[in-house]
Amino acid sequence: MDLLPFLVTQCLNAFSQAALLFFLGVGLTLIFGIMRIVNFAHGTFYMLGAFVGYTTVRITGSFWLALVVAPLVAGSIGAAFELGLLRRLYRRDASAFLMVTFGLTLVLEEVIRLTWGVQALQVEVPDLFAGIVFLFDEPFPVYRLFLAGAGVVVAIAIWQFLERTRLGLLIRATSQNSEMVHALGVDVNMVRSGIFGIGCGLAALGGVLAAPLVTASLGMAANAIIDAFVIVIIGGMGSFLGSLIAAVLVAFVQVFGNYYFPDFALAAMYLLMLLVLVIRPGGLLGKEA
Amino acid sequence: MPLLLLVVAALLAAAPLVLPVFVLTLLTEALILGLFAMSLDLMVGYTRLISFGHAAAYGLGAYGAGYILLHSATPLPLAILAASLFAGVVAVGVAWVCTMATGVSFSMLTLAFAQLLFAIAFKWTSVTGASDGLAGIPRRAGPFGLTVFETKVGYYELALFCLGVAYVFCRALVNAPFGAVLRGIRENEAKMLSLGYNTRLYKIAVVAISFALGGLAGALYSPFAGFANTDLVYWLFSGQVLIMVIVGGQGTLLGPILGAAFFMLVQQVLSKWTESWALFFGLIFIGFVMFAPEGIWGLLSRWRVRA
Repeated sequence: MDLLPFLVTQCLNAFSQAALLFFLGVGLTLIFGIMRIVNFAHGTFYMLGAFVGYTTVRITGSFWLALVVAPLVAGSIGAAFELGLLRRLYRRDASAFLMVTFGLTLVLEEVIRLTWGVQALQVEVPDLFAGIVFLFDEPFPVYRLFLAGAGVVVAIAIWQFLERTRLGLLIRATSQNSEMVHALGVDVNMVRSGIFGIGCGLAALGGVLAAPLVTASLGMAANAIIDAFVIVIIGGMGSFLGSLIAAVLVAFVQVFGNYYFPDFALAAMYLLMLLVLVIRPGGLLGKEA
Repeated sequence: MPLLLLVVAALLAAAPLVLPVFVLTLLTEALILGLFAMSLDLMVGYTRLISFGHAAAYGLGAYGAGYILLHSATPLPLAILAASLFAGVVAVGVAWVCTMATGVSFSMLTLAFAQLLFAIAFKWTSVTGASDGLAGIPRRAGPFGLTVFETKVGYYELALFCLGVAYVFCRALVNAPFGAVLRGIRENEAKMLSLGYNTRLYKIAVVAISFALGGLAGALYSPFAGFANTDLVYWLFSGQVLIMVIVGGQGTLLGPILGAAFFMLVQQVLSKWTESWALFFGLIFIGFVMFAPEGIWGLLSRWRVRA
């Protein structure tokens, strides 16, 4: 295989992977930035997204509807969890959140297992993107191109949402000084519930998009939560741009690592993370050391 | 209090006289898990170093002991000690990197290290047996022709002995000036720094000790179970042991042991009548974090004060 086609396809592969990682990481980092909560259940919401997506496709036959339904379901559960439980813990130290969301992980995983069973469920690639294209005479799945495109679109959408809308403004303000925002008459608690829901919804969106590639299975959550943590840590906790950069970095390490030294690909991601943390303990764009 | 402890220890030591073998097997596992949870308490409860990768210690001990027993004629107790030391030595390197960060970043770094070890255990086939793990780890006789550890009862007493010694050691450690510094770091690290303590060295030391004891637990486990696999290094196990510490009562040493026993008990009882024991376990755990952050030990002492 020639070098140029190889590089192009591998890079596109990496970008489609980066898009999935970005959906995972950005929700986690938003939640951390605003609420100082490390959401251990994030990977489980990603998995929930894939399963709800599967069912939606089964019933309605529409992948596009699944892209709406799954984030809504996961987002509502997330927001309800914040309202019911997390809200009572704001006076406690950060480890309480980590542990309560770990408990939620156990519960949700079991609920998912009881509802959908233990078998991996295949979600069909939507017809529109089912084929392959030839790039420099190399076959490449259209769906991966779509993923990379979706990543760019969602990244721009979130960025514009944070910069241009009133809710985005409130979110940024709350992450900087929640007491001041509260004093100015904003219901900070509602902002928090909202952002927790949005974060979980984004994870579920990633889950639906990943489902045609990896099938919806019970192992998804464990891998996803580790990937999400790695991205957030590399990018810097609470940094939107950081999570974007980290997702691309990690995706490239994963894709090229898998190709050149498959035996070490698993370790390469953690080595990258250790390297970043040793140089910048707060992550690439993180504020705190 | 010490008297009560001695009585409990004596009762546990005499337990094999009356208990059937399968209960003894469960109890051995509970003792080993108790040791593991107690080792984490030194970091979590006394120093507020929330480790999300303590399975690394267990895995290092389990694989270390397994490898030594499979590839040499070392007597069992020596192999266990060596594996425990091995975990402690590796921990110095791990702690050196992890203590560059604090708070949540520290937790995440420990998680990263544990996952790195998991990746190594998963791929380094010639040493760790990859996804199959190490199987057929013998409970070898010796030293001096001692065969007692080959039996279930003997192994139970060995686990109990290790837990007892480790507890006395930990209690002495937290009561010593060293322990006072650890509590100082927990409450206000900046203040300890300005008082002239090199807090990072103390943190590295406590991580090393905690890993050595956690490694001891792992080293006890792999000859007991006869295998070591990647589950023992997986992040889920790190989460479970953290649960044991919190549910038991952090910063009490004895609480986490109770937490481990409680974990085993709940798992056994729930798995009898429902396959989804994890569901109820998650709910119990959430309940503890929400309503009884001081854990079982805290509930017990509150009840004792009232009575």
